[in-house]
Amino acid sequence: MQKKGRTRWLAALLALLMTLALAGCSGSSGTESVRLMVWSPSEDQSKDSGEWLQTCCERFAELHPEWDITFVYGVADEATAAGTVSQDAEASADVFMFANDTITTLTDAGALVKFGGIYADEIRATNSEALVDSLTLDGELYGVPFTTNTWYMYYDKSVFSEEDVKSLDAMLEKGVVSFPFTNSWYLPAFYLGNGCTLFGDGTQEELGVDFGGENAVEVTNYLVDLYSNPNFVVDADGSGIAGLRDGSINAMFTGSWDSASIQEILGDNMGVAALPTYTLNGEEKQMYAYAGSKAIGVNTESEYMEQAVALAVYLGSAEAQALHYELRNVVPCNTELLEDESIMSDPVVMAQNDTFDRTSILQPFVSQMSNCWTPVENMGKSIRNGDTTHDNAEAQTQAMNDAMNSDGIS
Amino acid sequence: MTLRSAKAARLRNNIIVHTVLAILAFIWVFPVLWVIMTSFRAEKGSYVSTFFPQSFTLDNYIKLFTDTTILNFPKMFMNTLIIAIFSCLLSAFYVLSAAYCLSRMKFRMRKPYMNMAMVLGLFPGFMSMVAVYFILKAVGLSEGSLIRVALILCYSGGAALGFQISKGFFDTIPYSIDEAALIDGCTRWQIFTRITLPLSKPIVIYTVLTAFIGPWVDFIFAKVICRANADQYTVAIGLWRMLEKEYIDNWYTSFAAGAVLISIPIAILFLKLQKYYVDGMTGAVKG
Repeated sequence: MQKKGRTRWLAALLALLMTLALAGCSGSSGTESVRLMVWSPSEDQSKDSGEWLQTCCERFAELHPEWDITFVYGVADEATAAGTVSQDAEASADVFMFANDTITTLTDAGALVKFGGIYADEIRATNSEALVDSLTLDGELYGVPFTTNTWYMYYDKSVFSEEDVKSLDAMLEKGVVSFPFTNSWYLPAFYLGNGCTLFGDGTQEELGVDFGGENAVEVTNYLVDLYSNPNFVVDADGSGIAGLRDGSINAMFTGSWDSASIQEILGDNMGVAALPTYTLNGEEKQMYAYAGSKAIGVNTESEYMEQAVALAVYLGSAEAQALHYELRNVVPCNTELLEDESIMSDPVVMAQNDTFDRTSILQPFVSQMSNCWTPVENMGKSIRNGDTTHDNAEAQTQAMNDAMNSDGIS
Repeated sequence: MTLRSAKAARLRNNIIVHTVLAILAFIWVFPVLWVIMTSFRAEKGSYVSTFFPQSFTLDNYIKLFTDTTILNFPKMFMNTLIIAIFSCLLSAFYVLSAAYCLSRMKFRMRKPYMNMAMVLGLFPGFMSMVAVYFILKAVGLSEGSLIRVALILCYSGGAALGFQISKGFFDTIPYSIDEAALIDGCTRWQIFTRITLPLSKPIVIYTVLTAFIGPWVDFIFAKVICRANADQYTVAIGLWRMLEKEYIDNWYTSFAAGAVLISIPIAILFLKLQKYYVDGMTGAVKG
């Protein structure tokens, strides 16, 4: 008897507790309470650079009074977010930023939401086709792009004229040029300039890599000569920017991440331009950089999918990009903003967009691409060490091409 | 005559030996010296063309403690210190207790336990990293400031498997001392704390030292467990981040400064406790 009484008492207590809990959840105003975890690089959240992420998220919350959103911020930069998210998607952010070359890591882990419907239409309408392609896999769109990601040329205006910087050979006659010769993100630019291809148009994995043949050998021979040019310096381990600082180098190739440091070094003399051409057997060949994008992605494990997708789209919108540019000089990619005069007058923005549109190819993200890095790096190193010369250029080029097309570790 | 030539031979040998030692010492100290010099270097950037800095400054150290909005070094330092102190206390306690039990008590699982510890000790700790992460997540320790608790557990949890050296030391303390104490009415705990530990100062200090250094320098567990929680980062993760391509140009010299700073607590501990450390490793009670 006593036992039964206690059970009833417990049940009543539980019922009371649950009512209270439910009331707490729904709230009195009828708004839905939402918890969104957002990851970004730490600069986006730092007070010194204006707390871009917090500002945008609060603005987003104001735009959506129907949701009572609690934001939780975490730090993961675009290059490493994919690794962290795919390690454990369930415990990762609802909305995060990633570099497009890590897209397959995320899709292989099933951690990246596909954008569709009005959201996809909006993204397609406000971004260039190349940019949308950089986030499209098997016809599905996987992210909201917010900037392009590539490298281009910084130079000293007091040494080179605007005419000079169109040709690498003209520059080498007037000043010292530094290039990351042993870095395989940069070196293929010469090969791509002379008709070498990676996986057909970049997505046809079955076509493989074409970095062999007569045209590639010509490039290898050109690189051997380039390396022996006294006005050419290999940029490795930060020697390029150090040379710019002490004045021993007049031009270098890097991306927007170094622009603040270079601005500080060169001041008003800082010039920025898309990649130059190089002269091969009397013909002008255009160098082509690898280009990609950085984008905002949504986690498939998100509990609040609708809100997460809306937030991702907002963070990639023209408004958020404009603020991003203002606070952190992140080069915008929204087509509306690219017509804005005040933004387009910035030389870095201009050079980055010019490079993306004109002197770059989309960096392939087929999985075979992972075989392409080491052989090219080794080519650069073997030219630097004197192992590759005019005599064996053909054999060395063929060996590089074989290694790029092979899955084996050799 | 023979005496003199013997003297000359000894002198010659000494000169050769000391020259070799001096060269080896220089090679050994060289990287340390370089890091210290880099930490005071005034020129920015990661690449230098001269070995000695052109000019010296303290700014790199000041930057570490004032420029905290992107990489919060003081916070990381405190995180690491807290984690290292607590895991040091816990694991020193585990190790010494386990060693004492295995050295002094005879029980059925003694031998199997020692064998198991030996076998488990053959595997690298980070093999279990993924499992450890998911267990911590299931228990709810993978978010917010509980990450510190998680890391302390990680670093101290397996400590009892590393009892061998301490046990070897305890074995050298005569059992008759324990028996005398038992006859006088001591409990096992009293024998452990009042007799064995005071007699084993060197090994206690050795255990504390190694238990402190482990978490202090660990990178891999901290990286896996901290994930995107920047406020929980330890120094190792912070230093690693300073070398990423976005930061390296601005942070390289501060990175060297950070490296010097984290070596200070360890260096002090070692210098103060060196005497015991050597005694502990030679492993016997004398006198």
